[in-house]
Amino acid sequence: MNGGLRSSTDPDLVARAAAGDPSAFQALVERHRAMVYRVAYQFAGNHHDAEDIAQDVFLKVYRSLDRFRQDAQLTSWLYRIVMNACIDYRRRHAPAGWAPFTEEAETRMLNAPEDGPGPEDAAYGGELGEVLSAEVSRLPAGQRLVFTMRHHEGLKLCEIADALGLAEGTVKRQLHAAVHRLRAALTIAKVTTGGRA
Amino acid sequence: MTGCEFGESPDIELYFYGELDAASRASVEAHVRHCAECARRLDDLETIRRALASRPRVDAPPAGDWSGFMSRLTFRLKAEATSASSTSASSWLPPSGGRKTSLHRAAPWLALAATLVLVTIAAVLTLRSRTIPGATQPPAATEPAQPSAAGGDPLLALSGQHLERSKLVVLGLATRDPVHTSSADWEYERQLAGSLLSDTRLYRRAAEQRGLNDVARVMGDLETVLLETSLGDHTDPESLERVQQLIRKRDLVVKMQVIGGSGI
Ligand SMILES: [Zn+2]
Repeated sequence: MNGGLRSSTDPDLVARAAAGDPSAFQALVERHRAMVYRVAYQFAGNHHDAEDIAQDVFLKVYRSLDRFRQDAQLTSWLYRIVMNACIDYRRRHAPAGWAPFTEEAETRMLNAPEDGPGPEDAAYGGELGEVLSAEVSRLPAGQRLVFTMRHHEGLKLCEIADALGLAEGTVKRQLHAAVHRLRAALTIAKVTTGGRA
Repeated sequence: MTGCEFGESPDIELYFYGELDAASRASVEAHVRHCAECARRLDDLETIRRALASRPRVDAPPAGDWSGFMSRLTFRLKAEATSASSTSASSWLPPSGGRKTSLHRAAPWLALAATLVLVTIAAVLTLRSRTIPGATQPPAATEPAQPSAAGGDPLLALSGQHLERSKLVVLGLATRDPVHTSSADWEYERQLAGSLLSDTRLYRRAAEQRGLNDVARVMGDLETVLLETSLGDHTDPESLERVQQLIRKRDLVVKMQVIGGSGI
């Protein structure tokens, strides 16, 4: 639409958006919405919640445009916002006192999964990828987020910890717990599907 | 499997994800060469990686259509910009002008009414969960339900009130003469539409989550019309005509009559 905006750098667009240029903000959204949506969808597992989370992210971005440091990476900043938006979103839909990264949440490896079919049911339907992604969606929220950011988005554990304000050891344990559960699902799936993996 | 020094330590997956320093990496590599259990853990991780990589990545709304997403975002940004100066415009209906909802149990649309109760319960729960943790009062935006209506069921009254208001707005829009509508009137309609939008969305989502597709569709159509109405930047006849076309195309007035049952 606007060649000038398309070729602008992120910091440039942020500066113009912060100065009140709505088309600059729109260009920013268009440039980064796929990444934000992808993370939100990985976390939420459905379009409605993914949209809500992604919208929350861009509202947050809009509100904090003037706090963005020009020397920082916009994608790191966005990752930070989207991770926290996922956790905030889940918290708003959880019972009071819900905490995503407690020791207790870490040790919930095999019980108290999120709602959804278990690996046995999913394996019956077939593909291993389907089984495992169903299991990812059943991980407790903290584990799911850490796993998604490390496995799919390729963020370092220290970056994830930093973005979420957690100790790196906590994030390591979340990843460990997530992998433990996925391996358990894999084992069940292999048995159920007669070992074709 | 027994006596493995790595046991249940996270080092194997930290190795897999490239999170170990050189020394730890070397010791994992040396270990895996003679520990079948840990070699299998690594194999499993590779299988998991391949299996998950075969799944499609979802990075856009259904059918890759961003238009709804972008208009809703624009709407929220505008709402944010205006609410920065004035507080919420959720209570737009003057108390004296409020119509009594005439929902009662004997109505012939009992099944739909029951559906609406479900939807409303879900919506109210969602609203509650969005307020400060521990709060037990519904937020002001939902407005206190009139206990006299709906045989004392505040939830039914709540969705009834919302439908009544929405119907009035849609009817008002549908029947206005585009050429002789003043900017002020049009602006007023736009504000009304905007004030109903978030609750409409809430009801739609509650209906969708419960698979109540008919209600969800009507709420979705209503949402589209309210969005189009409240978004327009111009108070010109063309914008109003566009909204009226939307209402006609979706047969929204009739659909809302069916769902609301009580007529206007
Ligand atoms: Zn070993």
